[in-house]
Amino acid sequence: MKKFFTTTLLFTVSVALFGMEDATSTVTKSLFEGQFLAHLSLAIAAVGCGLAQGKAVAAACEGIARNPQAAGEIRTTMIIGLALIEALVIYALVAAFAIK
Amino acid sequence: MEHHASFLAKWLTELFHLTRYQWEGFGIIQEEGHSAHEYFSVLERYDHLLNASLAVFFTLIIATWVRSRMTKIPGPLQQVFEMVIGGLDDMVKASIAHHAERYLPFIGTIALFVFFNNLFGITPGLSPATSNWNVTLGAALVVFCYYNFHGMREKGFWSYWSHFAGPVVFLVPLMFPLEILGLLSRNLSHSLRLFGNIAGEHLVAGIFFAILPLFLPIPMLFLGLFFGLIQTFVFTVLSIIYLSGAVAHDH
Repeated sequence: MKKFFTTTLLFTVSVALFGMEDATSTVTKSLFEGQFLAHLSLAIAAVGCGLAQGKAVAAACEGIARNPQAAGEIRTTMIIGLALIEALVIYALVAAFAIK
Repeated sequence: MEHHASFLAKWLTELFHLTRYQWEGFGIIQEEGHSAHEYFSVLERYDHLLNASLAVFFTLIIATWVRSRMTKIPGPLQQVFEMVIGGLDDMVKASIAHHAERYLPFIGTIALFVFFNNLFGITPGLSPATSNWNVTLGAALVVFCYYNFHGMREKGFWSYWSHFAGPVVFLVPLMFPLEILGLLSRNLSHSLRLFGNIAGEHLVAGIFFAILPLFLPIPMLFLGLFFGLIQTFVFTVLSIIYLSGAVAHDH
């Protein structure tokens, strides 16, 4: 987790520095316009969605292991919950389509 | 987002020699000052409507066919349909307390329409109509109108809308707009979820086809089948939940 945050921070800082160094260059412009931002937003959304869905599925597995009789209802609720979590990434995807 | 017509629309355009028009504010790619134009025939432009009506006809034909040869000892197709309708019936009856059977035809229609449209995503030559936001927004708006109508019919106009104001009188100016906003934004999430999932899956399958068309797309096609089923399920369950929230009244 620590490594992940450090990497993200370093990446953000490096991108910002790179941007400040030569703001008019076409490379930087293309980095901050359109596709790069769209892909980055989708990646960030996917990280959050992965963590959240992992938590949800882990809890559902635990619940089914403790009480196998309730498997059907737990599975239905889990699928609805997963769809609701996934919807946030889908918004990012639609926004990425819109930027692109 | 650029427009991709399905092969069916392209073939039909070639077959009937339809005229390709340049559409205003659509399919125009700006390139360094001068713009390149794309030309689409009516069928290619309204590709989603073509595929959606195909799905409707397919559903009608298969449902009529199964119904016309219904037997005491069910054949394979009848068994599948009995399973689907039994499952839908269980789902509706589990969430709606009173007169659940009244809402089953509508829910079943929406489920079959969405499911066949999703299946068109893995059918060669067709494109899924649900990968166009217009179609999913249409389905979501139909569901929206349906549950509002039945809520008003079940509880009466005044008591249905006063339900959104909350129990505390002096919080009404705060609560009522928020609840109405929540009610309206349901449409957005309900339609965007289906649209984004199907469009994204279709796009990824297309990219896999572009990389290596031989064996690589096969897992993606299986995933498309699975996702189509799951998204149909989610769309139906959310419709049922909204409906049950609208028509529920305490005794």
